[in-house]
Amino acid sequence: MFCMMQSKRGAEILMDYRARHLDPASRAEIERHLENCNECRRVVEAQRELWETLDRWSPPEVSENFDTRLYARIAREEAEPAWQRWARRLLHPAAPLALWKPVASVAAACAVLAVALTVHPPDHKTPGPQVHAESVDIEKVAKTLDDLDFLAPQNPM
Amino acid sequence: MEAIAALERDAELMLRVRAGDDTSFALLLERHRAPVVHFLYRMVQNQPVSEELAQEVFLRVYRSRASYEPTAKFTTWLFRIATHLALNWIRDGRKEKGQESLNEELLDGIARQVADRQPTVEQEMLYAVKLREVRHAIEALPAKQRAAVMMHKYEELEYAQIARALGCSESAVKSLLFRAYETLRARLAHMA
Repeated sequence: MFCMMQSKRGAEILMDYRARHLDPASRAEIERHLENCNECRRVVEAQRELWETLDRWSPPEVSENFDTRLYARIAREEAEPAWQRWARRLLHPAAPLALWKPVASVAAACAVLAVALTVHPPDHKTPGPQVHAESVDIEKVAKTLDDLDFLAPQNPM
Repeated sequence: MEAIAALERDAELMLRVRAGDDTSFALLLERHRAPVVHFLYRMVQNQPVSEELAQEVFLRVYRSRASYEPTAKFTTWLFRIATHLALNWIRDGRKEKGQESLNEELLDGIARQVADRQPTVEQEMLYAVKLREVRHAIEALPAKQRAAVMMHKYEELEYAQIARALGCSESAVKSLLFRAYETLRARLAHMA
């Protein structure tokens, strides 16, 4: 019998099942599988226990004067000269990743292409057989570079 | 349906903030204050810092009101900013241990005591030990895995939202979560 834990996709589906992200038909199918697969049942049960354990962690209440302090900060900022507000927006944009990461990723992708062309420059002297140059999807390359960077082992601190 | 209506209301409220309606900002703050503070608290495990960072989140939202466009869900944008600030803070290593951590545990203990209607001293101690283990297990996760778990488990964000908040693909988010949950299961299995 095929065990879902044997494949990455299967393991992700079990995670979705536990998080209640599946539609009713898919849930029913998973539950039929779980009746017969000890390994998958063990993983789902372990995930349920983990979530119950994580549920025990209740954060403290937000301070009563949170809003007061926030509005005071807003008022201070609004009272600043315009040039100072613009400088802050430049240094601390609301969504920095949205502005800079795609640019950096595309720049990295272009650098990869530049290196590739440098190592294997087009040969202009000897016309070879007709080759259809594959168009490179820069967005895909950028996204793959992002994912590789993202999944690389991290220093825990 | 209710969730979709709530998301539309968020965008609608933020558009009103863009138009100069500060009352709408207050409504957004009321709705999202606790989730943002709690997310940041679980990320940095320090209450004063989590509130400071949360204030910075809402400050940046207010600051950029003039250029707001509802291209993504409001909560996605909110948690993108929150995640960015939390990851920066963790990276910069500004965590303060010792007395502040002890205070956090005391605060958690007090909250628990109120909920449990005067548990015994033994129960309190057991709870404090378990809580410390959960916090340490979360803290030991790489920062981005931690952020993904916080958004997935506690804020119940969708994979697409988590992906946008973290600036990666949905596939990468699923891999992060898979690894994180596997690590946490192994570390906390004895507490079940």
